[in-house]
Amino acid sequence: MTTATAGVSVADSHDGNEAHRTSLNLSNMKVAMWLFLASECLLFGALISTYLLSKARFLTELLAGNPIVEASIDNPGLVREMQETGSVEPLFDIPFTSFSSFVLLMSSLAMVLAHKAVSEADYKNTRIWLATTALLGSIFIAGQIYEFTAFKEEGLSFTGSLLGSAFYTLTGFHGVHVSIGILMLLTLLVLSFKGKLNQDRAETVELVGLYWHFVDIVWVLIFTIVYLIP
Amino acid sequence: MSDTAVKASADVVDDAHDSHAHPTETQYWLVFLILAVITAFEVLWSYLGLSGPLLVVPLLAMMVVKFVIVAGVFMHLWFDMKMLNGKLFTLAFASGIVIALSVYTVVVATYEFNV
Repeated sequence: MTTATAGVSVADSHDGNEAHRTSLNLSNMKVAMWLFLASECLLFGALISTYLLSKARFLTELLAGNPIVEASIDNPGLVREMQETGSVEPLFDIPFTSFSSFVLLMSSLAMVLAHKAVSEADYKNTRIWLATTALLGSIFIAGQIYEFTAFKEEGLSFTGSLLGSAFYTLTGFHGVHVSIGILMLLTLLVLSFKGKLNQDRAETVELVGLYWHFVDIVWVLIFTIVYLIP
Repeated sequence: MSDTAVKASADVVDDAHDSHAHPTETQYWLVFLILAVITAFEVLWSYLGLSGPLLVVPLLAMMVVKFVIVAGVFMHLWFDMKMLNGKLFTLAFASGIVIALSVYTVVVATYEFNV
């Protein structure tokens, strides 16, 4: 422990941002972010489980011809298709969602390149990659708004059915997380333009990056579990 | 603090910095390409008209691979794990996943058996 304590002292002498390194050789901020992300795992784990259980119950009732469940989707044609296929597949537009997934994956690459650029004091590229990440995130959100509008028009409302409630809650929560991430990225961009985001603050970009990649990981799960496994 | 202690502690910090070496830009692009190709395979697989385990198992396997790659490379977990001698995060995440899977299995079982 003496060594670890001394390690903090040496780290202190390197730069101000390393001042709060723990005996784990990770900064307190990074450990805190990982703990926060762990709590987020519980949130999304609960939401994904709720969706799966709700979808199973919805489909069971729908295939049994429950008139209340049939009426919960305001589109008889869609209900008939779901009953014929025994799944919620007719609801989804896989090519469109695949494009959204690709956009979010690209944003993760842009984020990691922004962190690399700021670590190497390449501030021009830091701004370019931060702006690219925010732009790609915005495209994803625009796609989600379009998708929600399309689902609503197809007859799937938030309060109308168990399936709709679970689906909109899960994907909506994810969308809110992406939106908060975009705000963080724009804040970093403003700080960078003001000259307040230099190499010593690279960890700040890394922390926002951790959050952003986590949001991407959650979408990796949602894309497969919700969209591809009908 | 003795000179020996200072040197030892400096070595600890330097080791940590060395093991914190992250991939190059080219390697990040390569990882992205791998992720994009896996995503394309996922979509392709879902269009093959398969059902049951033939559809679900490969899709879940590809999902797990993508999950591990993003967490390991983009979130630097593999490199941070080296910093902690690979023990703390491994233990924390392995125990977390075991607990989560156990809870999920129990919850699903309560629905299946109408408990």
